[in-house]
Amino acid sequence: VSPAADPAVISPQDPTLLIGSSLVATCTVSPDFPLKAEDLYWTLNGRRLPAASYATLGPSTLSVALARLNGSRQQSGDNLVCHSRDGGILAGSCLYVGLPPEKPVNITCWSKNMKDLTCKWAPGTEGETFLHTNYTLKYKRRWYGQDNTCQEYHTAGTYSCHIPKDLALFTPYEIWVEASNRLGVAVSDVVMLDILDVVTTDPPSDVHVSRVGDLEDQLSVRWSSPPALKDFLFQAKYQIQYRVEDSSEWKVVDDVGNQTSCRLAGLRPGTVYFVQVRCNPFSIYGSKKAGIWSDWSNPTAASTPRSERVAGGCDPKGGEQNTTLRRELKQFFGWVKKHAYGCSNLGIKLYDQWRVWLQKSHKTRNQV
Amino acid sequence: GDSWGIFTFLCAALCNLPALPALNCSEELGAGQSIQQTYDLTRYLEHQLRTLAGTYLNYLGPPFNEPDFNPPRLARAERVPSATVDLDLWRGLTDNARLAANYRAYSRLLCYLRVLDGQVGTAELRHRLAHFCASLQGLVLSIGGVMSSLGYPLPAGPAAPPAGPPGVPAAPNDFLKKMDDFWLLKELQTWLWRSAKDFNRLKKKVPPAVVTLRLEARGF
Repeated sequence: VSPAADPAVISPQDPTLLIGSSLVATCTVSPDFPLKAEDLYWTLNGRRLPAASYATLGPSTLSVALARLNGSRQQSGDNLVCHSRDGGILAGSCLYVGLPPEKPVNITCWSKNMKDLTCKWAPGTEGETFLHTNYTLKYKRRWYGQDNTCQEYHTAGTYSCHIPKDLALFTPYEIWVEASNRLGVAVSDVVMLDILDVVTTDPPSDVHVSRVGDLEDQLSVRWSSPPALKDFLFQAKYQIQYRVEDSSEWKVVDDVGNQTSCRLAGLRPGTVYFVQVRCNPFSIYGSKKAGIWSDWSNPTAASTPRSERVAGGCDPKGGEQNTTLRRELKQFFGWVKKHAYGCSNLGIKLYDQWRVWLQKSHKTRNQV
Repeated sequence: GDSWGIFTFLCAALCNLPALPALNCSEELGAGQSIQQTYDLTRYLEHQLRTLAGTYLNYLGPPFNEPDFNPPRLARAERVPSATVDLDLWRGLTDNARLAANYRAYSRLLCYLRVLDGQVGTAELRHRLAHFCASLQGLVLSIGGVMSSLGYPLPAGPAAPPAGPPGVPAAPNDFLKKMDDFWLLKELQTWLWRSAKDFNRLKKKVPPAVVTLRLEARGF
């Protein structure tokens, strides 16, 4: 039959403390239990605390003094446990030791096709991790409306939130992030923005890269403007980046205006290039302000042509066989003619005749 | 590894629900085959639990993650159904009783685990817990399926409210809650060990039908 009452009680139970603070905790054994203060000992996170820090406050009450506490070893709290002499657990208390949160910083937001808003931020300084910190992103329309709370977190990393709908255009929003933990709350600075100022879109679709006729140093890039924004009055700006297959260095073509095609020049012949395009919904509703660049499109590959020059190929006409050897032989015979008397018949023509005879004899041999 | 396990349990779960049109399972799927699948599921869950428990106990911190940790089971911990049972009693269980005990135990354990999910601190733990709960739900469905195919009624009991089974108070302090969590994981582990033996025993008694498991699983 299990006892109804807990064997002992610890005070304080589950306290929250600042790093560096001190604590005196007491363990009082329940009157139903035949244990006395001298039968007890303490552990913190599984390690026995020195008896020198204990004090007997009563026949069945033992205290322990903890000085200059470090931040909690785990976010679920440090385990301070009161034991009986044989090691049995009588009671425990979770200590939450840390610092109050810092102001979250660097709030950046973007809207995909003016339909939603995603914001991300960074925790203040290094982000204190001893205590669990809750982040809440809030927003409201300036001058009126109540505070709204963002619900979908972690959509673009740990410190991010996504607002999927009910956003008004042409009106400034105030956005801020609240960080809270057991020791307090910190509120970031307020960021003010109009959805139209932070619009981004999908990367251009249907990116095609093709050769320009036989031109060895050019490639033509063609793409479609992102369909999601086709109903809105905007001019798009595009950027192209390309690189050689085995290089990691991208070259950027910046001044591609509102066109959907571009010709890359000055390229290496016979080389494979990877090309990507991205879009900026510039000047939404004539605002003349830049939006936010989209992601790059998936890389498209194409190669520049290389002119066909046969270096030492097999030419059955017999004249061009092994040009290096022929050249050398010519030079040799020329030298022989100059320096050797007689053998005047020796020349490159004789060598050619020999080769023709060689081929003829091969054929007759194979015909057998 | 992981995807095979999910596939197995999903098939086991969905194949045993005759009303589900999306998965085209062969009707010859007999009880024997379901028992095998349920057995496989318990082994898979056992494997998953090892990782989950390791992570969770580290989150609770020492002494909870020490290998020889054995705290007292206080009164409130008794609410978690115990797997340990007298050996002769266990041997003498009828098929119905054996299956029902498993069904009841995992239904309750699932409730407690879901409560845990709502309170736990780190994103990694929440993710693992959610995954485990989904698999455990599959096991409950699988056991239910075996019982139905053998003609046994499912144990009575309404679906528990999200706050946990009614009439059970939450732990009065954070340390006692940690102890409850420890015992929940321990009991889950013991049940999975026991279930493997339960289903092994059932396998021998219920001959597998001569079937070819024809599954047209769309979307996997």
